[in-house]
Amino acid sequence: MTVAAEAIAHRSRRRPRLKRIAHASVPYLLILPVIVVITAILGYPLYKLVTLSFQQYGLAELIQKKGVWIGFDNFSSVLHDEVFWRVLLRTVIFTAANVGLTIGLGTLIAFLLVRVSTWVRILLTAGLVLVWSMPAVVAVQVWVWMTNFENGILNYVLTELHVGDYTGHDWYGSTFSKLGMVTLLIVWGAIPFVAITVYAGLAQVPRELVEAAEIDGAGPGRVFRDVTFPVLKPIFLILTSLSIIWDFGVFTQPYLLIGSSAVDTSNYLMGVYVFIEGYSHSDFGRGAAISLLMLLIVAVLSIFYVRRMVKMGEAQ
Amino acid sequence: MNVRAMAAAVLVAALAVVAVGVGGASGGSSANTLTVWLQVDAQSGWSEVVAAANAQFKAQNPGWDVDVQYQTWGTHLAKFDATLAGGNAPDVIEMGNTEMTKYSAAGAFQDLTAISFPNKSTWLQGLAASGRYGGKIYGVPYYAGSRVVTYRTDLFRQAGGKIPQSQAEFIALAKRIGAKNKAKTFSPVYIAGTDWYVAMSFVYDYGGQIAITRKGKWVGTLDKPAALAGLAAYKRFFEASSRAPAGSNEGTPPPYDVMAHGNAASTYGAGWFTCCVGDYKNKVAQFVMPSHTKGQPIPGFLGGSDLAVPVGGNKDKAAAWISAFTDNASMTALRAKGNIPNTTSLLGTSVNERAARKSWFVPQSKNWVNVENGNVLRTMLQRILSGRSSIKDAASVASDNITYTLNQ
Amino acid sequence: MSAVSEVAAGARPVARATPRAASIRRARRRRLRRAVWNVVGLGVFLVLVFPVFWMISTAFKPDTEIHSSSPTWFSIHPTLQHFRDAMARPYFWEVVKNSLIVVGAVVALSMVVAFLAAVALAKYRFTGNKLFVVLVIGILMLPQAGLVIPLYVVLAKYHLTNHLMGLVLTHLVILLPFAVWTLRGFIMGIPKELEEAAMVDGSSRLGAFTRILLPLVAPGLVATSVFVFITSWNEYIFANVILTDQANQTLTVWLSYFYGTSRATDWGGLMAASTLTAIPVVIFFLLVQRKIAFGLTAGAVKA
Repeated sequence: MTVAAEAIAHRSRRRPRLKRIAHASVPYLLILPVIVVITAILGYPLYKLVTLSFQQYGLAELIQKKGVWIGFDNFSSVLHDEVFWRVLLRTVIFTAANVGLTIGLGTLIAFLLVRVSTWVRILLTAGLVLVWSMPAVVAVQVWVWMTNFENGILNYVLTELHVGDYTGHDWYGSTFSKLGMVTLLIVWGAIPFVAITVYAGLAQVPRELVEAAEIDGAGPGRVFRDVTFPVLKPIFLILTSLSIIWDFGVFTQPYLLIGSSAVDTSNYLMGVYVFIEGYSHSDFGRGAAISLLMLLIVAVLSIFYVRRMVKMGEAQ
Repeated sequence: MNVRAMAAAVLVAALAVVAVGVGGASGGSSANTLTVWLQVDAQSGWSEVVAAANAQFKAQNPGWDVDVQYQTWGTHLAKFDATLAGGNAPDVIEMGNTEMTKYSAAGAFQDLTAISFPNKSTWLQGLAASGRYGGKIYGVPYYAGSRVVTYRTDLFRQAGGKIPQSQAEFIALAKRIGAKNKAKTFSPVYIAGTDWYVAMSFVYDYGGQIAITRKGKWVGTLDKPAALAGLAAYKRFFEASSRAPAGSNEGTPPPYDVMAHGNAASTYGAGWFTCCVGDYKNKVAQFVMPSHTKGQPIPGFLGGSDLAVPVGGNKDKAAAWISAFTDNASMTALRAKGNIPNTTSLLGTSVNERAARKSWFVPQSKNWVNVENGNVLRTMLQRILSGRSSIKDAASVASDNITYTLNQ
Repeated sequence: MSAVSEVAAGARPVARATPRAASIRRARRRRLRRAVWNVVGLGVFLVLVFPVFWMISTAFKPDTEIHSSSPTWFSIHPTLQHFRDAMARPYFWEVVKNSLIVVGAVVALSMVVAFLAAVALAKYRFTGNKLFVVLVIGILMLPQAGLVIPLYVVLAKYHLTNHLMGLVLTHLVILLPFAVWTLRGFIMGIPKELEEAAMVDGSSRLGAFTRILLPLVAPGLVATSVFVFITSWNEYIFANVILTDQANQTLTVWLSYFYGTSRATDWGGLMAASTLTAIPVVIFFLLVQRKIAFGLTAGAVKA
């Protein structure tokens, strides 16, 4: 060891223990506020969610504030219900379609934002924010109205543009069209967040690296692969994992767009299913069991992306 | 950006917390406040009736205040469940008549049998039944609405003019109107395909029922001959007179909108539709929907609300407020707004009220709400009207489903 | 090939006229490309914004036009009546104030608390780091429907039902996991050399983070705060259950009264009210969007 290094090592050994403890406790102090808030508010509900899933807990039990312990009956009843498996398959396909479309289209728009003139960029960004700012419940009302078979503007426009005769066309006639419309609505509402976040991420891409790659003769595809994507990778992982989580459990849009009068076993998505089976029927024990199953399933679906995100932290 | 900036941010956050703490609302109510949950229809339709009842209550109960919190139809049950769990349920709550049985059976309400409310002996039968469970009274009838045919006088005159006295006459009239108005989206009688309130009226008209109790168990009866005849009659009527898609419901689009657009000569729905038919306001009138038997009205669905006192509420004061809100003065005012009062003593001869004299109601099972929420009847109607199932098959499936659900 | 690459590739100097004409042609091609992108951008804008346009356009139409059988793009006789009606509805201004208070508190608190936690997760190695990350994302995965009633019971115990503070805490609980997760990702994208350069300075590690990290993470902070703002502003399920008194409610709950009646829905009023609801969000975004653009240049100057 050199003299300097010896001196440094000597100094660190002599650093007082208190200071070392204070130094080590910094990260814990930083995460303390989050832990306090979440435990205080969410601690009991989480505990309740787990315990309720093992109980017979309906409206009468809710009023008496006492449930009946039935072990795994709720879970086995749900897992033996063929409706549950059909809804699960339908929701997985639905989630894949939604996530793919949202991330894909959102990213394309982010790149579009880079390539247009400033005034178009401002206009498009303002438009994205306007779309993003519409509350889901309001957006659904507007969509219901725009797409209704009797005098919806969608039928009118399609007929006027001579795409076909869409007078009186019912956009919610089949299960596929119902879920298709829900997909359209959700993707439309989710694009702004993806586009703006990816655009913010693009801002972190060092421009000199892009230019250097172009000078080396790289086309736009290779530039994206070698320069842009590595920087955007954590952002894509976040967006994809979040989209999977949200789209799997989405409730408001399908329930309101398909309509509380038309949701049934042929078009349930998981979010609607847990609401109807658990809370609409006031069978809170069953609802809790389905919620826990949903948690498990969505964890499995997003594990690929989540593990990558966690691993990226370790590399640091 | 430095420590100063961070300190500033923390200060802002702290100020935010203080602002919320101070700017936040009064929070809990004082010990002498009666909490009443009414639907928003009262706020927009007859708030003066509410105000009068509040004034009367406060005068008779000095030291007491009334906090009326208006709710919306889509969410009020979820909120009610939460307050039941949290132990701060309101003292009075307005419930839809089809919602009552489930909550009465679960023990959510206090027993009101012993209390003498205004006009108790002449309560409208159809409404009062929904407030009773297990021989006890849990709900006080509030108001009702029935269904009538709202029609365009000019278009009817064009096709012959006579008010139909039977379903057969109505179908013939509908065909004549359709011959004179051939547009693709025009319905002589606009009825949504899955409007089960209308379809079940046809079923009850032919003597059928949704479900009956046999030896303490519920049995779905839509697959019995009488009910099948009613469903067949409904299908005949629908095909002759409505261009709505088989899967449409009566909320989207609202039938009065269809009339306002000139796309319907008539519709079978709530009595207040005349408010919103746009340019045709002066060209509409109403009549009672006929039965298949000539000269008889069809049994109509009596929609309405009851007032109940949740457990934990102040029963005496709640009953006092309910009495003030459902006395003759209030009922007369409600009737003036186009509602059906809760007592036969005030029942008049408007079309709305005449249609209410013959009515049917849903099976009074605590699980009926689950049948509604599962859209069992709507799915059945869509299959029948789209031709995907025969009437017998669709009704069988629905009937089995109803038997299963009601007996849970 | 771009001009830079052509020049760098060592195009030999020929007669002066040719490179000049070539560069003019390249400039014209670049302008043409940009014009094409602009057209595409405008097309995307029109399609995306159409429902919002329809909402705003309807807000200005009188009832007769809204319910007429042939829809029109713009109102023939525009009116402000619906806006007046919406603002005259009971509790409009209270509700606006409530929403602003809730969202302001949620954004301020969540950004500060989440940033600190995200720094800890991204930059410090400590036992429980991974566990905390898993916990955070686990909460994100919880279906909210199941939590409504138990959460209400908890708030009732603290006497926070029907109180804005109860809603603020609920929103924090829903949004903190997301904010921590996202900010952690943004912070991890910052090069390590800068942080080490600051430490040689002699400043403490935390001080280095705040001085160096904050400006670099600014675009990420902005994007996250916009999301928190919008989510809290538009949140309906919990706001609806927790706030029972109309005077304490937020805008989204107030809006539900337009279509929650069993009688006719006032479409014009609903559209006007919805338009009004969107305004503060747009204002907030306009105020902070400059930070994203700032990040653009900052990113270019650094490396």
